[in-house]
Amino acid sequence: MIFLTVGTQFPFDRLIRAVDRIVEEGVISETVFAQIGERSYRPCNFESVACLEKGAFDDYVRRASKMIGHAGMGTITGALRDRKPLLVMPRLKRYHEVVNDHQLVIAKKYSELGHILAAYDTGDLPEAVLRLEDFVPKERIATPNTVSHRIRRFLDGMQD
Amino acid sequence: MVDVAAKAVEKPLMCLVASAGGHMSQLLELGEIWKGSCTFWITTASAVGDRLSRYGQVYVVGECNREHPLRVIRVFLRCLQIVFRERPDVVISTGAAVGCITCFLSKLCGAKVVWIDSITNVERLSLSGRMVRHIADLFLVQWPELAEKYDNVEYAGTLI
Repeated sequence: MIFLTVGTQFPFDRLIRAVDRIVEEGVISETVFAQIGERSYRPCNFESVACLEKGAFDDYVRRASKMIGHAGMGTITGALRDRKPLLVMPRLKRYHEVVNDHQLVIAKKYSELGHILAAYDTGDLPEAVLRLEDFVPKERIATPNTVSHRIRRFLDGMQD
Repeated sequence: MVDVAAKAVEKPLMCLVASAGGHMSQLLELGEIWKGSCTFWITTASAVGDRLSRYGQVYVVGECNREHPLRVIRVFLRCLQIVFRERPDVVISTGAAVGCITCFLSKLCGAKVVWIDSITNVERLSLSGRMVRHIADLFLVQWPELAEKYDNVEYAGTLI
């Protein structure tokens, strides 16, 4: 199963429509399930829901063989946590899909680092979906403890 | 008067503030850095609020961003009320607008300000971060390149 998610805050019809089309064209033969957000385009070729609870979302990530999504941090960290191959298409300011182009920057950075694949336009999607077949994401090692220690050191200094 | 005297011997009061979603997930990655402090939380949506309530008082102030000036004013007034009532000794934030507002108001009350710029800011600091940098007592970023680009900015690891 391919899990397609675009978050829940704003629609991202450009991606949903594009995936709907390539499923119809047979580029994707695997089952697709999507979280599409409220007031979104409803795909014809696979099942979708507006919004999943956190637990159900995590469950879909776990069960997915691959993921496709917007370049939101929730989507990226979810995929990386379970080592799922993820293809993102960033939301763009140009299409009023987001207030600035931070998703574009994130998509570039994380794909450069080998954590995800990125397609920057719907035209690139079919080819990128094929690459997703044998993409092995590079593990991302976060270091929240060192950040906490730095802040702890600061807070301790405050009390002296 | 009694309150002021009592506060002097009490644990420091810590304000943890972040918008719901990615900013809050990053803040929560700090682990229980708030242990040993009295805390209160400010966030933008009640769904997260419920999860936080076991760590202390939670204020939900509603969403705001620069696209909606009226909402910014409403959130500003809510935060003003909260900060002047609570009088935190230290505020820790990962952003975004609500964090920026709270940091400035808390600084006016004499609080120390700790800012961790969100991981989504790869090439330059967030708009909020660029403002808070001037008043922050500890300013952390999650990409080493950013620490080289700005003064008084430190890289101490990544939260996600």
